Amino acid sequence: MKELLDTLISDARVWQGSQQAQTTLPAEPTGFSALDLQLAGVGWPRGALTECLLPAPGIGELQLVLPLMRRQLEAGKTVFWINPPYTPYAPALEREGLNLAQIVVVHTQDQADALWSLENCLRSPVTGLVMAWPTRLKSREMRRLQLAAEAGDSLCILFRPTGAADNSSPAALRLQLEPGQNHALDIRILKRRGGWAAEHCTLALPDRAPVRPDTATSVVRGPWPERNR
Amino acid sequence: MLWLYIHFPNLLMDHVRSTRDDPGALVISDARKQSVFQACPEARALGIRPGMRLKTAISLAPDLAIMAAAPEREQQVLEQQARWLYRYAAHICLRPPDGVLAEASSMSRLHGGVDGLWRKLTQALEQRQLTAWLATGQTPRAARQLARADRGQCTDSPETLNGLLHGLSIAQAGLPERIAERLARVGLLSLGDLMQLPAEEIARRLEPETLQLLQKIQGTRPDPQPAWSPPHRFCQRLDFTRDVEQTSGLLFPLQRVLGELEEDLQWRQQDTDSLLLTLRHRDQPETRIRLRTAGPEHRAANFLALARLRLEQQALVAPVEGMALRVSRLIPRGQPMGDDLLGDGPDTQEAWQVLISRLQARLGDQALKVLASHEDHRPERAWSHGRPVRPGTASGTTCPSARSRPLWLFNSPEPVIHLPEAWLSGPERISGGWWDGERVQRDYYVAQLTSGQLAWVFRDVSGGWFVHGLFG
Repeated sequence: MKELLDTLISDARVWQGSQQAQTTLPAEPTGFSALDLQLAGVGWPRGALTECLLPAPGIGELQLVLPLMRRQLEAGKTVFWINPPYTPYAPALEREGLNLAQIVVVHTQDQADALWSLENCLRSPVTGLVMAWPTRLKSREMRRLQLAAEAGDSLCILFRPTGAADNSSPAALRLQLEPGQNHALDIRILKRRGGWAAEHCTLALPDRAPVRPDTATSVVRGPWPERNR
Repeated sequence: MLWLYIHFPNLLMDHVRSTRDDPGALVISDARKQSVFQACPEARALGIRPGMRLKTAISLAPDLAIMAAAPEREQQVLEQQARWLYRYAAHICLRPPDGVLAEASSMSRLHGGVDGLWRKLTQALEQRQLTAWLATGQTPRAARQLARADRGQCTDSPETLNGLLHGLSIAQAGLPERIAERLARVGLLSLGDLMQLPAEEIARRLEPETLQLLQKIQGTRPDPQPAWSPPHRFCQRLDFTRDVEQTSGLLFPLQRVLGELEEDLQWRQQDTDSLLLTLRHRDQPETRIRLRTAGPEHRAANFLALARLRLEQQALVAPVEGMALRVSRLIPRGQPMGDDLLGDGPDTQEAWQVLISRLQARLGDQALKVLASHEDHRPERAWSHGRPVRPGTASGTTCPSARSRPLWLFNSPEPVIHLPEAWLSGPERISGGWWDGERVQRDYYVAQLTSGQLAWVFRDVSGGWFVHGLFG
């Protein structure tokens, strides 16, 4: 039996799963080793869409993309923020070592303009990363963006509400973000290239906010009424 | 000294026809006399002649396009011609309403003799679809009279020129009609006959002005010619024979004007970053559209792409009867910015400029912002936004603040509704602004909201609690 198997293997008549060629998709490392491990060394896919689904802004989603943004800016590329929900705060970005001159914030009147800008940014060679906060996307529009990202070989991260997880999407990577314990960020991989979904990891994000080691009780809160206000 | 005169017998007609795409009959009308002033070949084929009454013309050609002649329009069109003619001759003068005089002898070596200059001018005129009668002359006046009579020849020999001049009829000499009539009655039919008369006799029997004119033609009386110099701006106007109702209909004529702009900028070795397009309506105030590029630019294709984007956004308030393109900001062309031979400097710069210009053209100037930080304790004052500038030109003088700040800032603080789940750090007292009247007195805390967001919460001096940012 063993000999039979050996001959089959040596004749290469049997395809072995372990010999599967490592997918060499163009990608950018995320800068977080725990997440990189989960993404099978692929990282943020280049020339494709990435979706981050989150319940609300302010749970650490910008910390997640900071290493990528920093790398793109250092390479001399421009980073576009299209319709961010709040103002990206310049002193904080500067503190993270980002060159503000290369960050362009775009505000559009309506969804059509936003998609148009997104597509144009994606197709341009100067673009390193496009981050967008679209309101609602049809799958036809998603495919259009996917094609634009392929044409420009650029990185595109869409931040969408968690409810969009139920809809199918042509994005190459879909991450579901949740606030975790101790101000960490819980990431569930809904979809990725070259691997199974539903993997899970937690990023600690220690630099996110100034948190005292001996938290809650020691913070002087000032006069705070008994009831909720 | 040799002078060259270019007479445009159908200047307005040619100008209108160059931007027209339908081949129907067209006349330029004289508004005062209600008569035809100039007629295009199509109109002539239908039997319309200059001087004919407009009513007759309309009955000959029912769908005749009529455009009224206006002196200021002619002047503008003539200046447009002078601008490109200036490339061929250093000293030119405008002879309104329909002529340009150029001093030819000093530039003849550059162009390879008078023949070379003549040939180049003829080519340029043909390319612009302009009918023109050229003539050389030893005096400005002589060249002018020869050109207006269409008797010009490409020559610089005095004998030939004198012969041509003598052959001009009295009517072609530019004398007042009254004088010409008197001369004809005397039996003097050509300029040559008149020039043979003694000067005193002419002055006594006719008028001193006639003698002056004759002497100017002959060159015995000084005839100074003030030189014209091109203005430091580009201004081109177009007149449509039929009103344009769709913005897409403006693109074709605009393309032509932008081509001329490119040529003009190329010739000046200058760039521009702002174009003013004025659309004229019949009974409404004109529409002004300003096109901006993110950086200096001179290529027509790029301007056209921006104009297309801009016009797509804009609905016409009324049909357009004409438009004008004006560029008053001219920027000297700089050295290419590339630092090294193999670097991707200029290409990236250009791509950046194209992208930003496109976005601005469609979304408006205010849609794109670049952030900047300032040294101010008040969070609202510690940042600002400005127009995007080319990367690499901004100086990187930054001193990151020591304090940790949230990545998201609210446009205005929002009141705290639910008690935060956990208090993580604080307070940080920020008190400032007493010097400019926008006083801020707050204690900032970092707190975790019930939704899991990390918020930057403050309590102001009046005791209210607000969320001012989120640690994204």
